[in-house]
Amino acid sequence: MKKSMNILLVEDNEGDIELTKIAFREGNLASKLSVAHDGAEALAYLSQEGVFEDTQRPDLIMLDLNMPVMSGKELLEIIKKDDKLKSIPVIVFTSSNARSDVSECYNLHANSYILKPSNLEDYIQVAKRVEDFWTDIAQLPYLSESW
Amino acid sequence: MSEVLANRKIMMEATNIDPGPETRANILIVDDRKENLIATEKVLKNLDAVIFKANSGNEALSLMLRHRFAVVLLDVQMPEMDGFETAKLMQEHESMQNVPIIFVTAISKEEKYATQAAEIGAVDYIFKPINSDILRSKVKVYLDIYLQHQQILRLNKTLSQSNEELERFAYICSHDMQEPVRMMHSYAELLERKYAQLLDETGKKYLNFITNNAKHMQKMISDILGFSRVGREELTIEHVDCSQILQEVLEKFTPQIQEKKARITIGTLPVLNTNVTLLSVLFQNLIGNGLKFQDKTKVPEIEIEANQNGREWIFTVRDNGIGIDPRFHAKMFTIFQRLHRREEYPGTGIGLSTCKKFIELQGGKIWFESTVGQGTIFYFTINNKQVTP
Repeated sequence: MKKSMNILLVEDNEGDIELTKIAFREGNLASKLSVAHDGAEALAYLSQEGVFEDTQRPDLIMLDLNMPVMSGKELLEIIKKDDKLKSIPVIVFTSSNARSDVSECYNLHANSYILKPSNLEDYIQVAKRVEDFWTDIAQLPYLSESW
Repeated sequence: MSEVLANRKIMMEATNIDPGPETRANILIVDDRKENLIATEKVLKNLDAVIFKANSGNEALSLMLRHRFAVVLLDVQMPEMDGFETAKLMQEHESMQNVPIIFVTAISKEEKYATQAAEIGAVDYIFKPINSDILRSKVKVYLDIYLQHQQILRLNKTLSQSNEELERFAYICSHDMQEPVRMMHSYAELLERKYAQLLDETGKKYLNFITNNAKHMQKMISDILGFSRVGREELTIEHVDCSQILQEVLEKFTPQIQEKKARITIGTLPVLNTNVTLLSVLFQNLIGNGLKFQDKTKVPEIEIEANQNGREWIFTVRDNGIGIDPRFHAKMFTIFQRLHRREEYPGTGIGLSTCKKFIELQGGKIWFESTVGQGTIFYFTINNKQVTP
């Protein structure tokens, strides 16, 4: 039985949300994908507020950079400064390959930086490999008591 | 703030173009005697200039620190600091160095004074009693030169501003276009993957057009981004093993090299203090072109070598491809310039212009020799930079 994770995708573009869902499905990923459509929703999800009262702590966050109101970088900074959240690995998932974006994100303690693939086949491959890496190769942090 | 956002901000600010320096020129008259100042001012008052007066060398210098002058009329005989001393002090100050000085004096017309004045950097020498017409026409010449110079400075500034704006515009556009074109490409593929059986041949053909054009657009956008990034991003100079960079580039071409059974010959390449990206962009484009522009009648052959010429190295990338028609030689490095239909030889017309921009930014040169049907040799130079510890 394949190990699975809870992945929170923070993404405002419906096209990308759909593509990620398709990639998870087509790639037979075992992980459960939840979606937050902007930074505020992501924070509500992570602090289990309102409609997110019964959500589980995600094992992994996939974060888009280019979002309205609160940018991906701002959200990343908030997560990595929060003692309860900072241990959750955050994968920046963006179409920007600007060097400054890459280095800024790592300086804000992103756990990795992945370019959104330019076609569906690669999208599926990336989704699979992300899951493989974080379930089979890497050891995820143990859930903190406080969650 | 993201790079793109920062650029947008600069772009908006840049639209408030600085009006530049004032268009009326300033003249400075220096004389210890008030009546001389008034007399000279009277002679010059019809010229379209603002006249400043100083009655000592010290006062002149202090005015020159606060204003820009088109020309200075400097009396030689003054108590405390005379005209020559004042001029010498002016020469020591960077902002005053290039201001033309006309010495005005009542004393001896001896040659030695004129020589001394010229040594200090005076552009002219006038004797009292002043001939009004001569003085006016001399001053007018310097006013005109000054105004023309100011205009050139303003034009240069406007030009470089609009150049910068254009580059930023290209950068922002291409950056933001990546997202929608990626969507188009991915969803066209998805349609093909899941619903192709519902389409007839024409429908499949249309879908194919969408996918192919989306791919081409993605390539164009990433090439334009690459072009506009040259010069925007700071280039780090490091110890670069050119053979290693070449190997990395060749690895990316492995499928093409195998498919075309291409022969690659590599000479001895140096280790240089330069920028890695520069070298890899050059190799990538020139080798890519060498492999691409082949008419399939012969086995592609590409030779890469480098020869030292003083502090610089001349790199050579030689191919046995279709060559370049001499009619198009002048256009080879122009951005978006393509010489073939996309169906014949795919491409965006950005590669060589990126190479040229990059090489020239680093103080190098790029050129080529070509014979139609026989091949092309590209040359480029890279300086072995001094590494500052």
